[in-house]
Amino acid sequence: MIKRRTLLQSLTGAATLGAMGASLPFNNLVRAAGKPVVALLPGVVDPFYFTMKRGADQAAEEEGIELLFQIPKAWNVTDQVPILKAIIAKKPDVLLISPVDKDQLIQPLKEAADAGIKVITVDTYIGEGKYQTGSGKADFPLSYVASDNTEGGRIAARALAKAIGEKGSVYCENNKPGISSTDQRMVGFEEEIAKFPNIKVLKTQYNEDDANKAAAHVAAVLAREPDLAGIFGVNTFSGMGASEGVKKAGKSGVVKIVVFDAVPGIDASLKSGLVDVAIAQKPSEMGYVGVKFASDLIKGKTIPTWQGTGFVVMDKSNIDQEDVHKYIYSN
Amino acid sequence: MKPILEARNISIRFGGVEALKNVSLGVSPGEVLALAGDNGAGKSTLIKVISGVYHPHAGELFFDGAPLHLRDPQDARAKGIETIYQDLALADNLDVGSNIFLGREPMHRRFGVNVINRPQMRKVAREVLDRLDIVVPEKKLAGPVRTLSGGQRQAIAIGRAIYWDARVLIMDEPTAALGVPEQRKVMELIHGLKAQGVAVILISHNLHDIFGVADRILVLRRGELAGERLVKETDGDEIVRLMVGDTYAATKTATAT
Amino acid sequence: MTDISIDDQLGRIALLTRLWPWLFLLTLLTFFEIWAQIEVGRSFLFNAYNAQAILLAASAPLLLATGQTFVIITSGIDLSVGFVMGLAAVVVAQVTLLTGNTEIALLVGIAATLLVCAISGWISGTLVARLGVPAFIGTLGMYGVARGAGFLSAGSGMTVSIDNPGLVWLGTGWVPVIVTGLLLLIMHFVLSQTRFGQYTYAIGGNLQSAARAGIDVKRHLIKIYILSACFAGIGGIVYTARYAAGAANAGESMLLDSIAAVVIGGASLFGGTGNVIGTLIGALIIAVIQFGLIFIDVDAFWQFIAVGVVIILSVLIDQYKDKLVRAA
Ligand SMILES: Nc1ncnc2c1ncn2[C@@H]1O[C@H](COP(=O)(O)OP(=O)(O)OP(=O)(O)O)[C@@H](O)[C@H]1O
Ligand SMILES: [Mg+2]
Repeated sequence: MIKRRTLLQSLTGAATLGAMGASLPFNNLVRAAGKPVVALLPGVVDPFYFTMKRGADQAAEEEGIELLFQIPKAWNVTDQVPILKAIIAKKPDVLLISPVDKDQLIQPLKEAADAGIKVITVDTYIGEGKYQTGSGKADFPLSYVASDNTEGGRIAARALAKAIGEKGSVYCENNKPGISSTDQRMVGFEEEIAKFPNIKVLKTQYNEDDANKAAAHVAAVLAREPDLAGIFGVNTFSGMGASEGVKKAGKSGVVKIVVFDAVPGIDASLKSGLVDVAIAQKPSEMGYVGVKFASDLIKGKTIPTWQGTGFVVMDKSNIDQEDVHKYIYSN
Repeated sequence: MKPILEARNISIRFGGVEALKNVSLGVSPGEVLALAGDNGAGKSTLIKVISGVYHPHAGELFFDGAPLHLRDPQDARAKGIETIYQDLALADNLDVGSNIFLGREPMHRRFGVNVINRPQMRKVAREVLDRLDIVVPEKKLAGPVRTLSGGQRQAIAIGRAIYWDARVLIMDEPTAALGVPEQRKVMELIHGLKAQGVAVILISHNLHDIFGVADRILVLRRGELAGERLVKETDGDEIVRLMVGDTYAATKTATAT
Repeated sequence: MTDISIDDQLGRIALLTRLWPWLFLLTLLTFFEIWAQIEVGRSFLFNAYNAQAILLAASAPLLLATGQTFVIITSGIDLSVGFVMGLAAVVVAQVTLLTGNTEIALLVGIAATLLVCAISGWISGTLVARLGVPAFIGTLGMYGVARGAGFLSAGSGMTVSIDNPGLVWLGTGWVPVIVTGLLLLIMHFVLSQTRFGQYTYAIGGNLQSAARAGIDVKRHLIKIYILSACFAGIGGIVYTARYAAGAANAGESMLLDSIAAVVIGGASLFGGTGNVIGTLIGALIIAVIQFGLIFIDVDAFWQFIAVGVVIILSVLIDQYKDKLVRAA
């Protein structure tokens, strides 16, 4: 997810500013008498965030909250901040935001906090992501709600171990080092996979988010290790390349593939056997929990400063079940 | 004889510099016209106008008596005006044959498609160099001309121009980089072309060469026509005086006829 | 006598600098072959699987590098190819889907993609040739435009999934390798045997002399940037075929590999030299290094270092080549 958005950062500003300008005024907002207002401001137009909104909508209905939703057309500080300013002007009770930059959004969000708006970050964070510590200039948000990527890595490890019968060699196909989400997934994966004595972990390969490179890596690893049992594709493109590499080697179904994220179309890949397991984040839960926390704040309750949301493990056997299928991200 | 090529009242500016002011010239078949003048006098600029590289701001060109409009050097070449530029204009990375044929490569059919006829280009390269008595080792003939000496390169530029059966041949300091025997060879060549009825415009700083081969001398000075003399009616001293301008005022009235 | 032997020696060194990419590739293959025989008791090279994997890995950057070879010979550079490839990957998927996702629709999609690429190449070429913008800047602008256009065309998210039998075929087994190989042969022929190729070299050698020889230099340059963009487009189409999805970032990391392949293959960034076969060897060297280092289980980051070193080496050799040739 993270990488996807860094790529979107470069979308040309002009087009997006124009599109965004139209959505700025909250003309149609009629503040229902006494109804608390929560604003949700995600990172960029993406199935992931539309899914998050649906969770938020549900919680808002349960709690009798008016939910404002504005979404930038590009993953970009210059796209997100003007929307943020407009929201501050509307003075909602709580702001749920996925900051697009952990440093550059500190000041604009401080403005919101100073205006009396309670800030919760969802999916991404500002500063170190550690809030209410009493130190640092980015500890003012009240909570951070996001996937626990380390836990996600552990889940991937268990799923891959199960798929390969807990023995054989595996390796991680990763984007590139230095990205917090994928790095954490790797940490969790390595911790957990080490618990299986008959599984050997080969060196990690980095593909710079290029499916072609990922596929070439799989080919080379297979040349060295023809008995390769499984691959963990740490993000979407790693997974895409890994499955193509396995297919070209004629090892579909033999080499098991676990990928992170449930992008649209993942159900087809699972059914065709291109991918064996997909670990879906729960953006809807992020939205749901975020709004619930907001409601708690409005009622004067205290909330945890960090809340990890869960995952759904998808495979061929369960993907058709409604309560699994619904976790595929969609617009 | 009627001039084959004429330039009338040519003027051209580069930014603030007036490189040519109202200059005219004409050259007839079988005649060798020498252009003389100091460095920066405008000789190269004048021939670049005639060969289609520059477009004059004023003045006209005539070929065989008819107005001539040159959009680019290709137009001039199509009329049979071949030029050896002072700055050579060779593609350093290509071999001798490719340079001689640049822009007019011979083609032949191979495997049902038209491809460049490299064997012919190589053959012609050899012939052209032989004609000028220039020795280039076989292995360098196929290599980039950048590896050749200045004289050898100059010979290629000359060879390229003479290969194409020019009606007007313009040579801008063709012998500057050549050894004495090769210089002599080029002079012989000019005599030969003259005999064949080619009109030659020769730019040279070497008065000995000019007097050896030219029929007429046109002297430029700071972009203006300083004088025009028939070789048989003048001498070196007078030409030098015209070039440096001692007798500028006097000659100006003398040539205004 | 001594003169001649020194001359011969220099000649041999000059020959060596020309042939070094071949020798280097040979050395690499020999090294990995020996390693494979000793360590795992299998052949590295004489192994259909490895051969296919290496050729497949080389084919993607090679498509970009083929057009790039022409551009670099004219002493230009095309930085836009990576994202033009991404744009093409998205456009072919979108147009094919919009027109019904049939075989005919695929042809429409491919035609539309090549048209989009041709337009982007035309813009780059016009900037460079007619408006005098340095190639580095002009194509960097197109890099941004293609990047933005790619993501915008992809809609929300940056991939467009597509399931089309024709596309699937194009991405199956050896097909991408064969397509790349055929195009490579054609372009080798064009560069070495036709006037188009000859003028490409002439422009790179001396733009002014090419113009004085009557070559329409500006038009020719524009054609070359169109060619480069179209090859990037083919790269994008093959990507979408292989992954059943077009991604706007498909070629992002291929740009540097493609330039590296051209440079390792013997082209000079100053223009005038280079050829398609050299580029092929360059791309193979990179692919063999990347494949081989994983094969002998070296840490991933050594691949970057190794490719970097080879690039530096080839540039150095290029610098000394001329001196040696002149001396010889
Ligand atoms: N492309 C150009 N741009 C600007 N100025 C130019 C250009 N070409 C020539 N000039 C100027 O025009 C004048 C005439 O130059 P030209 O090259 O015609 O002299 P020349 O008589 O051939 O001298 P030489 O004997 O040194 O070759 C000079 O002042 C020169 O600086
Ligand atoms: Mg001159």
